[in-house]
Amino acid sequence: MASDPMGSQLRRILSIFFSLSIILPLSSPSPTMHNNNWAVLVCTSRFWFNYRHMANTLSLYRTVKRLGIPDERIILMLADDMACNARNNYPAQVFNNENHQLNLYGDNVEVDYRGYEVTVENFLRVLTGRHEASVPRSKRLLSDEGSHILLYMTGHGGNEFLKFQDTEELQSHDLADAVKQMKEKNRFKELLIMVDTCQAATLFSQLQSPGVVTIGSSMKGENSYSHHLDPDVGVSVVDRFTFYTLAFFERLDMYSNASLNSLFTSYDPTLLMSTAYYRTDLYERPLNMVPVTNFFGSVMKTIPTDSAYPGFLVAHASEYATISAETETARVVLEDEADHSKTYDQSEKGLQHILDEWLKLLEGKLGVKDPEVLVAYGLGSMVLLLTISTWLSS
Amino acid sequence: MGLFEKPKSIWSILNSRPITFYTSSFPLEKVGSSFFHGERFTSRPLTGEGAMASHTFLSLLLFYFYTFHLVHPIHCSVGSNAFDTTSAPQEEFSEELLLKPLPDYKVLAHFHFTSTSPPSSSNGQHHHLFPKSIAQLVKKYKIRELELSFTQGRWNYDRWGASDPLSTANGKPPGVELWALFDIPTKEEIDATWRNLTHSLSGLFCASINFLESSTSYSAPLWGFLPNNGDLRYGALPREAVCTENITPWLKLLPCRDKAGIASLLDRPSIYRGHYHSQRLKLRSDGLNGIVIEQTLSVVLQPIDRTSWSMHQLFKKSLMGKCALAKSSKVFLEIERSLVSQNENILELVGEADMVTNDQRDHSTIYQYNVERYSEHEALDIRVNWKKLLQVSFLQTPLHASRFLMGSGNERGSIAISLQSARNSTKGLYDNSKNCFTRVVIFQVVPWYVKVYYHTLRIYVDGAIRDAKDVVEKINVTPSEDKVSPGTLEMMLQFPCGMMSAALTLDFDKGFLHIDEYPPDANQGFDIPSALVSFPDFISRRIYPDSISSPLLQSYKGRNIVKSYTEVLLVPLTTPDFSMPYNVITFTCTVLALYFGSMVNVLRRRVSEEERLAKSKDKRKPGLIPLLISKISNKVRGIKEDSANQSQSSQPILGPKVVFKVVLIALIAVLGHYFFNSS
Repeated sequence: MASDPMGSQLRRILSIFFSLSIILPLSSPSPTMHNNNWAVLVCTSRFWFNYRHMANTLSLYRTVKRLGIPDERIILMLADDMACNARNNYPAQVFNNENHQLNLYGDNVEVDYRGYEVTVENFLRVLTGRHEASVPRSKRLLSDEGSHILLYMTGHGGNEFLKFQDTEELQSHDLADAVKQMKEKNRFKELLIMVDTCQAATLFSQLQSPGVVTIGSSMKGENSYSHHLDPDVGVSVVDRFTFYTLAFFERLDMYSNASLNSLFTSYDPTLLMSTAYYRTDLYERPLNMVPVTNFFGSVMKTIPTDSAYPGFLVAHASEYATISAETETARVVLEDEADHSKTYDQSEKGLQHILDEWLKLLEGKLGVKDPEVLVAYGLGSMVLLLTISTWLSS
Repeated sequence: MGLFEKPKSIWSILNSRPITFYTSSFPLEKVGSSFFHGERFTSRPLTGEGAMASHTFLSLLLFYFYTFHLVHPIHCSVGSNAFDTTSAPQEEFSEELLLKPLPDYKVLAHFHFTSTSPPSSSNGQHHHLFPKSIAQLVKKYKIRELELSFTQGRWNYDRWGASDPLSTANGKPPGVELWALFDIPTKEEIDATWRNLTHSLSGLFCASINFLESSTSYSAPLWGFLPNNGDLRYGALPREAVCTENITPWLKLLPCRDKAGIASLLDRPSIYRGHYHSQRLKLRSDGLNGIVIEQTLSVVLQPIDRTSWSMHQLFKKSLMGKCALAKSSKVFLEIERSLVSQNENILELVGEADMVTNDQRDHSTIYQYNVERYSEHEALDIRVNWKKLLQVSFLQTPLHASRFLMGSGNERGSIAISLQSARNSTKGLYDNSKNCFTRVVIFQVVPWYVKVYYHTLRIYVDGAIRDAKDVVEKINVTPSEDKVSPGTLEMMLQFPCGMMSAALTLDFDKGFLHIDEYPPDANQGFDIPSALVSFPDFISRRIYPDSISSPLLQSYKGRNIVKSYTEVLLVPLTTPDFSMPYNVITFTCTVLALYFGSMVNVLRRRVSEEERLAKSKDKRKPGLIPLLISKISNKVRGIKEDSANQSQSSQPILGPKVVFKVVLIALIAVLGHYFFNSS
């Protein structure tokens, strides 16, 4: 009589174990909506002759600001002061073109980390969000699981590293670890890493986290070159990769529907003098369906829902896909996203159904057999395996 | 209810469906606690939603609705009739600009913005003109007084004046200087608060002020900087860059920013092209007057045409009316008497002033222009023409202070402070009687890696060495502690009035830094922040008639001690070749690997084993399952083969050759060890 309660207990434990193992991995990747944009723009080079790296970063800063990311969602790191540098003939101005049409520094620039603060440590702290308690909000990347983050880095680099301030290096492993940690902490939904440095592609080699798309200015063994020299400023003012990236973005505004694919394929190796390399194996969505404003801008859509809780959002997203989004692009993307979530939903349900059936079957089988017999068989097979293995290894 | 009607109208458009906006993604809780981390004030302090300390979502929500009810009526009244609603003190803002031609044909432009907030009990936590972020800062960190300055260039005390109130207040050391007085009892708490304050300010003003957080970079002077009860903290970063990103948040503290009023003149390239640029934020807070912030920006500009300049030429912008929220908006032109008295026609003014007055002692003349009178159609443009080029000098400090380094090499050196009497220009201040003394206070903070030996203090008066006891009236030295605290020197000296020159020297040793502590540009050298030399017997003040009501001229009346900052010193320290550690590491590792590798080889290597390994290596390594199968099959039939192999190839492990090798290596090692130790 004593075996009966034991058996039921075992059955319960087993069923709990199985149901947990089935439900947990399925429930965790509940697709959250993309609801905010962040940008981390890093210039890692010090000294005046690296003027172009700061100009690169500031050009990107200007672009993302123009496309709608507000200053409080941009973390700008500049390793040196070029604008008010004593060598700068144009105080408080930074140019990325010798025609001097555009002052990148503008009137309202907000630099979050500058000078000696731009270190690998601080950079990794920003990404992973592990700050001291007193660090102000403006210096933190306060993204969440619905964030799209643009990470732009420029500086001097080499095979699997990027130099910071000419003293330390950020290695591809460090970057991959930080991104992994960000993913674990739900700090982003999608992440675009854009790097303009020599052998930029090697920096991405260790990345494993899903939702990351990367583009680098050059392949392994290739250098990234500057675009042109400004005789008035006295140094090169922009790098080729960034120059052509900006040329692409200058044609766009907040409502354009250019896709990431069109950006990535716009780079001409003969003009760049290097091969722009992009890695998409960690990224789910097709690149031609992703507008560039998903990363470089902050174009949002409003979705009316029955309740304010995002948990119920997925089911209704497809239903309300016809609501007024500002532009056609947005609508297309929205519908695409809705479809995507729907198919995901279906496949998830199918899988759950099968597993449910199997669980029932298992439970039935276990119920028929005597649990003590089962345990005895198990022990016997273990002893057998053990003897075989010791015999083999001797 | 007023505010709740707005969302309703949106709902009705969207078929009365509730709407969720995903544009602002912050949970409400984060917004509420934002000010603890010195958030950049992107929203004006009208709703007052962020100013509370509760963390729970529910109470915050309640408070949120509550404040909407409460604030809304006040909010409405602000725009139309802000100044006549009640008799209670109101928040006030005033903007002023003072232009001053300098003797070397440059122009000093001094922007002065004052915001006052009455004691907080009268209007709670809501502000309509006063910057909320500053009010939160004061409340959180219990600040009594604070001054933060960003400076580029050095104030030229010889040419631009040294003992008038404007130069006394304007002369600031290059880089960032921050000091604060706290209303906190214990020293530990003050230090902790200071640390948090530096972080908050660094977030607010886009600067690396947080480097002042470490105890090696700030000091607590007792009387050398400002008399206090130990609740003052002082820190300076001489190398901090000052640029547009610092003025952007500074301007955001103003109610009109740089969109209207006097601040609209601030064209960034023009002001950063200047010879001197100092941007300050000074705040005082007490129970009586509430909080008062003075934001000043002093720029020394070089007009393109030396003999004639106008405001438009200087700033490349025109002043078109006042900031609508300012109580008063005035532009002053101050002309030193020394420029006018010799010949009335040196300067010519174009533009009609609203009022002209002289100060009490007749040192200067002030021309006042009310900005209210001007508009887009008629911009205010003051033009000054020099008729005759003259070299005149302004009031000097009693002693001209400068500081320099002596000695050579990377081991030791000495700091010298030289004081030169400027008697020529300030005749009448001295008499040569024996009982007359001039007091001089020197305050100097030296980083720990410059190890000053304070006992080596030597004082020379008129070239002759003097006993320190005769000259030093009061001295307070806080020696530096390695990697813990900087050295602070506060010293009050007494010099005879007839003295022509004095010099002080202090010897120091240069310390070594840890490899991590070197900045990326260590070869440039390390900075010793400016020393402050003040003259407590000399007061700089200028009293203008009360008919001019101006916070700027009001501040002239205060008893400001004449002081001047010395140069920043650049100390070259021994900097390692940073690739050297890598060289050393790789070299030692190679040697160790060679030595231990050969030792292990000699002791452990078995020829038979190796042969067998070589044999097995010849075969391609199979996968796991084939390996398993082959092993099982070997067990079944091939045991004899294997054992035969083993017996065939087995040899004595310790052959005579091996023994010889071991002895040889050991001998070499012992000899090497003996040799290196003895030499």
